[in-house]
Amino acid sequence: MNDMTPEKKPSKLAKWSRRGFIGAGVLAGGGLLIGIAVRPGNPIGALAPKVAGGDGEQLVNSWVKIDTDNIITAIVPHCEMGQGAHSALAQMLADELDADWSKIRVMQAPTDGSYVVSDTARAFVAPFTLNAADWLEPTWDGLFTQVARLADALITGGSSSIRTTGQGQMRVAGAAARQMLVGAAADAWGVPAGEITTANSTLTHAATGKTATYAEFASAAAEQPMDQTPTLKTPDQYRLIGTSAARTDIPAKVDGTARFGIDAEPEGLALSYAASVRPPVPGTRVASMDAEAAKGMNGVLQILNMGDFVSVVADSYWQAQQALNRVKVTWTQSDSAIKTTQDQFAAYARAIDEAGADGGEKAAGKGDFADAFAKSATTIEAEYKAPYLAHAPMEPINCTAHVADGKCDVWTSTQVPLMVRSALAEATGIAKDDITVHHPFLGGSFGRRLEAVYAVMAARIAQATGYPVKSIWSREEDTQKALYRPAELSRFKAGLDEAGALIAYDNIFTHRNDPAEASVPGIYAIPNTQVRVAAAPRHLPFAAWRSVDHSQHGWFIESFIDEAAHAAGADPYEYRLAMLKDAPRHAAVLDKVAEISEWSAPRAEGIGKGIAIVESFGTIVAQVHEVDMSAGKPRLVNAWAVCDAGYVVNPDGFANQIEGGIVFGLTAAMYGELDLVDGAIKQSNFHDYKMLRVDETPAITVEIINSGTVPIGGAGEPGLPPAAPAVTNAIFAATGKRLRQLPIAKQFA
Amino acid sequence: MMRMKAALVLGVASSLVAACGSSEPEPVVEQIVIRAPGEPAANAARKAATMEAGKVDLVALGERAFAQCAGCHVAEKGARGMAGPNLHGVVGRKAAALDDFGYSNALKSSGITWDIAALDRFLANPAGYVEGTSMVAGAVGDGETRAAIVAYLASTSE
Repeated sequence: MNDMTPEKKPSKLAKWSRRGFIGAGVLAGGGLLIGIAVRPGNPIGALAPKVAGGDGEQLVNSWVKIDTDNIITAIVPHCEMGQGAHSALAQMLADELDADWSKIRVMQAPTDGSYVVSDTARAFVAPFTLNAADWLEPTWDGLFTQVARLADALITGGSSSIRTTGQGQMRVAGAAARQMLVGAAADAWGVPAGEITTANSTLTHAATGKTATYAEFASAAAEQPMDQTPTLKTPDQYRLIGTSAARTDIPAKVDGTARFGIDAEPEGLALSYAASVRPPVPGTRVASMDAEAAKGMNGVLQILNMGDFVSVVADSYWQAQQALNRVKVTWTQSDSAIKTTQDQFAAYARAIDEAGADGGEKAAGKGDFADAFAKSATTIEAEYKAPYLAHAPMEPINCTAHVADGKCDVWTSTQVPLMVRSALAEATGIAKDDITVHHPFLGGSFGRRLEAVYAVMAARIAQATGYPVKSIWSREEDTQKALYRPAELSRFKAGLDEAGALIAYDNIFTHRNDPAEASVPGIYAIPNTQVRVAAAPRHLPFAAWRSVDHSQHGWFIESFIDEAAHAAGADPYEYRLAMLKDAPRHAAVLDKVAEISEWSAPRAEGIGKGIAIVESFGTIVAQVHEVDMSAGKPRLVNAWAVCDAGYVVNPDGFANQIEGGIVFGLTAAMYGELDLVDGAIKQSNFHDYKMLRVDETPAITVEIINSGTVPIGGAGEPGLPPAAPAVTNAIFAATGKRLRQLPIAKQFA
Repeated sequence: MMRMKAALVLGVASSLVAACGSSEPEPVVEQIVIRAPGEPAANAARKAATMEAGKVDLVALGERAFAQCAGCHVAEKGARGMAGPNLHGVVGRKAAALDDFGYSNALKSSGITWDIAALDRFLANPAGYVEGTSMVAGAVGDGETRAAIVAYLASTSE
């Protein structure tokens, strides 16, 4: 069995990263075309017209362009969904380029295979902290979702933009571009390149007093040789990286000019609007459609039975939705045996029961659990249940599509534009090269927009009508007919020695998606462990949901560790710390959060503090949450988070993401739950799928530790996993009531 | 070893992509075309016709105006209530009469039987007429529009 401790050295695959940027290359299978230098005479120069609009613009390479106003544009291959990646990526490029931050602009890379994010793809296949083969084999869902994405890896996810594209591409692009500019100036001025200094988008040769803007040498720079591996700055040389440089997307978001997918109003296109209804039970289709009552309604243009959904197209979205409400649709029957939430958990329990004491697929482990368990002085067992969850992004699911003359254009909010393009090609029969995916800002996503169904629906409607259509899902459709964070059941068994130390640990559950290490208590020194998977049917389709498996397993593991601490009669912080003696970074993070949360200070009556630590997406986050139970139900008072991501590029942006992850995690912990009734989802909108309100949100303190460890970790997801266990552990501390199901609020209603 | 497995996965990826290209687009099962975008709406034409004839079809106007109520109400036989109750056949009915809708206590104890006059008064200012009603939005200020909506609702009772 493999050792569960995350491997610290990068896998062999990590060697792809640097060469992956400037070298043109194709990976095995032909799926990935990686970063390509765009310069005169380069066969891939065809990319130039897509990103450089006018004669005054010179493309230095495919990730950066410099125009005659000395405005430098970072061409960013990731989507912006509020996480700040556009700005932080530009910051990394600008630092290496010694660019003037006030003159930096960000452009969304076109949906072109040349912009596939090879490092992101690799990060999805082989996480930095884990051996690739070990990860790939056991993860069935993971395997297939990853494989599908790999082929179309222009993707934003896995908290990866900064640590992959930023580190491997934007910085390299900036450094290479700077070298080429310096080279061009050296040639023109007849001075050694080494004597030229750069700052604020300006080249200077001190000895001769010559100075020029980057723009002046942009054309000549393109003729310079391109260093395949330019020297990157060391942290002491950073000017922008590590600072909270103002985000480039703030002005547009403040003055309202920012365009999101749903704002699409393509010039020259008169839009009609579609509302659609999909089958309430997964796997079923339209059986019959009676549209009589809708035909005479205002604004109605067309009523479509598309086989797998029904749409009304009208002059406005409201009219389309009103008419759709009058269309009577019946659906085929599902053959799923799972009709209710109880059925789902019963199916999970059955699979786990059948696996017995040591059955199921061995996912990870070390030592000899059975032997250690038999010798234990104390044993404990616990079973936890996590519910199905929806993403519920605030921007409704939408796509505007125009299919005409053998071409297809769509405007949509997506994390996976190239995957959308492939899905459109399949659904419309139009060649990929004739499909353009325009993807403006996303109004939230959290994994929701990692799929292509809604874009395909829009294109099929537009293809059927022959005119451009904006398709918008109602909130009810998005809550009930999407892809979901899986419900999960997890059982633990553990043995403690005479001193209370955890010496035997067994955990079995029903699905392993990704990241694979999420279900492994790898940070702790526990000598005998086994992690098992007993595959069980799942009624609702799977989606990656912010932090993916960590969202459940972070809560499972950190709750159970808390139970072990209680069984040992130990302080939950000190108990964890004792198991982190070989993990100094984790211990430092845990110590710091105990310090800033005044963990050792006495608690007032009814106040509980809970602690949890989870490493996810390369970042270690420990949290303490303070919960006031004096009114008999939880009130979230304070949250402290300490994070070690190795090195943080933009501290303010990083803290924003950790705070967002905490609030998202608390929302799910307090309220998040989807129930199954007759095979369909019961909840429909924000009245019964609640969000945490401002007045329910704790005060949050985020502290960052820059340990300098590389590769660096992510920001978008790691804040989430410790939030739920820290709160339920706090409730236990205050009341002695151990919560083994989520959500929390209804258990105190 | 590790590298071999990674390559294997990439191989699967490319074969999946190849498979994608071969499937046929799913055909449309039924396509009902009412009109083309920009073409005048049929009921707008109907309204023009009735105006031309010198008499206003109040029911038709009311049916159109009911769109402003349709966010919360349906007026269709047997349809399930939404945020507000189904108003099909409401004229002549006692207030709070439907079993499948959770009315406010105010409406339940109002003793109102909905006739044309009561509906007109209620629609003009719901909370002013029945204090404590949960109909907190949707008052119809314009008297002619109100009359048309009530006429339309009355027509569903026939």
